[in-house]
Amino acid sequence: MNDKALIRATAVTKCYPNGTQALKGVDLQVSRGEVVCIIGPSGSGKSTLLRTLNAMESITSGEVMVDGVSVHARSTDLNRLRTQVGMVFQQFNLFPHMTALENVMLAPMRVSKRPLDEARSRAEKLLQKVGLADKAHVHPGQLSGGQQQRVAIARALAMQPTIMLFDEPTSALDPEMVGEVLEVMKDLAREGMTMCVVTHEMGFARAVAHRVIFMDGGQIQHEAPPQPFFDAPSHDRLRAFLGQVLK
Amino acid sequence: MKQDRSRGFWYGVYALVLVGLVAGIWGMSVRVHYDWNWRDVPQYLVSTSGQELLAPFDAYVTITPDGKTLSLTEYGGERSASYTDFEQAYAESGDLVFRDDLLAYQAGLRPGILLIGLWMTLKLSAVSLVFALLFGLVAGLGRVADNPAARQLSSNYVELIRGTPLLVQIFIVYFFIGTVLQLSAFTAGVVALAVFTGAYIAEIIRSGIESVPRGQMEASRSLGMSYAQAMRYVVLPQALKKTLPSLAGQFINLIKDSSLVSVMALTDLTKAGREIISSNFRPFEVWFTVALMYLALTGTLSYLVRRLEKRLAHE
Ligand SMILES: Nc1ncnc2c1ncn2[C@@H]1O[C@H](COP(=O)(O)OP(=O)(O)OP(=O)(O)O)[C@@H](O)[C@H]1O
Ligand SMILES: [Mg+2]
Repeated sequence: MNDKALIRATAVTKCYPNGTQALKGVDLQVSRGEVVCIIGPSGSGKSTLLRTLNAMESITSGEVMVDGVSVHARSTDLNRLRTQVGMVFQQFNLFPHMTALENVMLAPMRVSKRPLDEARSRAEKLLQKVGLADKAHVHPGQLSGGQQQRVAIARALAMQPTIMLFDEPTSALDPEMVGEVLEVMKDLAREGMTMCVVTHEMGFARAVAHRVIFMDGGQIQHEAPPQPFFDAPSHDRLRAFLGQVLK
Repeated sequence: MKQDRSRGFWYGVYALVLVGLVAGIWGMSVRVHYDWNWRDVPQYLVSTSGQELLAPFDAYVTITPDGKTLSLTEYGGERSASYTDFEQAYAESGDLVFRDDLLAYQAGLRPGILLIGLWMTLKLSAVSLVFALLFGLVAGLGRVADNPAARQLSSNYVELIRGTPLLVQIFIVYFFIGTVLQLSAFTAGVVALAVFTGAYIAEIIRSGIESVPRGQMEASRSLGMSYAQAMRYVVLPQALKKTLPSLAGQFINLIKDSSLVSVMALTDLTKAGREIISSNFRPFEVWFTVALMYLALTGTLSYLVRRLEKRLAHE
């Protein structure tokens, strides 16, 4: 057991109301500052696992601890917990009725009750950080997919989370925009952000991840640092999967 | 060129049909030997006989010889009063008048009963709309809520109201609830219309909320917002913007539905029409006039709604 573990999921199972067994006993530990990439075939439970970490999805049994707090305990203040765990979605989910800047400012103002000036100056800095300072007053509808996803990252960072969860952040993007988003994520990793990234970008996983996890059938089948993981896959199903996606 | 000519032809057909309809109506009225008299109608819109001047207390009347000043001396009292701004006196010098007797008509124009009724209709609809929006918002939020009690209650409300005729609801509110709670006719009317329209607005708002992608709520919650905050700052603004045209349409329906409250002791536009007919027996002219006034009201509103829609589409 690792004492530095910021996230610790133990024997997590998840059964959806319709009977789908999405997670069948998952153990996962992520240390502070660690970047973990999760790969696996469609329907293997990657999104479900990620979403149990900030209680966007309830669990059927097991336990998830984030920074010493039991996420699924009744007494846990979920809204407070979620300010510590930023999430970035495949479909960006920006608020279309607000400008990029307002998107980033909303949660700090309404949730953390930060004064307008402070929220704005922090939002401006974050937009600058993701390279979109000039798009502050543009609505999401007028931004490209890559730009939208970068705003979404800035929006999640505005709450100053200690963990960032990414669920296939580049899967909805045109190929030429994937790079700009991955670049922002690399910067974050370099700054020491703790990250869990569900992705199909094997290049990113190889270059940035400290550890890569292969999920299949609601279970973690294999995990290893990127080099042995990709160069000498010791697991049969992983080999088959890698053979398919790298083809 | 050819298309222009055929369009012109169909506009001609259109005009002919209209003329035919008017002729048909006229022909029908001839068959029942109805003699049209539109000259009576304008006075119901704007009355030329001004405000009534009523005696404030029991008094003797004195009118100066030029007929311009009317003075009162209280009967068995000290008070007196005099008036100059009247047109035609109904009392004569030396008369003893009692409190609230008609002394004279003051000069000037006065809204006729139809305009008063129209104003009542507008006021009733506007006040009802405010409450209907409130009911609709609460019930609409209830419909999409997780809480079974909220969901069930709102759904029962909507089904109950949409499954029964408005007229029956009005009777229940006016004769039952109104009597028990001693509601005025206006309050009872507002309650009935607001409860009725609220059910339809609830459905509009529910569908608006459901049309906002789930990801909006998820993203808000993932940032630490509560359900209420996410609704208020993220989901509802988008939902309401999408449903604004339907909501405005509901206001137009509300204006038309408000004619049913004329069964209560409330002089709205429709009731004004009925009152006029019971005294002058001119149903054709009066009902056509009333219909035109409703049409003017709803037409203006739907024009405004269309403009609003265009504006929103541009954004
Ligand atoms: N809300 C839900 N209700 C019922 N079943 C669900 C729900 N969400 C996911 N599932 C099911 O749970 C299983 C795991 O889904 P999950 O979305 O976690 O997979 P994934 O690995 O993220 O797949 P993908 O790569 O397609 O995103 C799948 O069989 C899916 O059909
Ligand atoms: Mg997924």
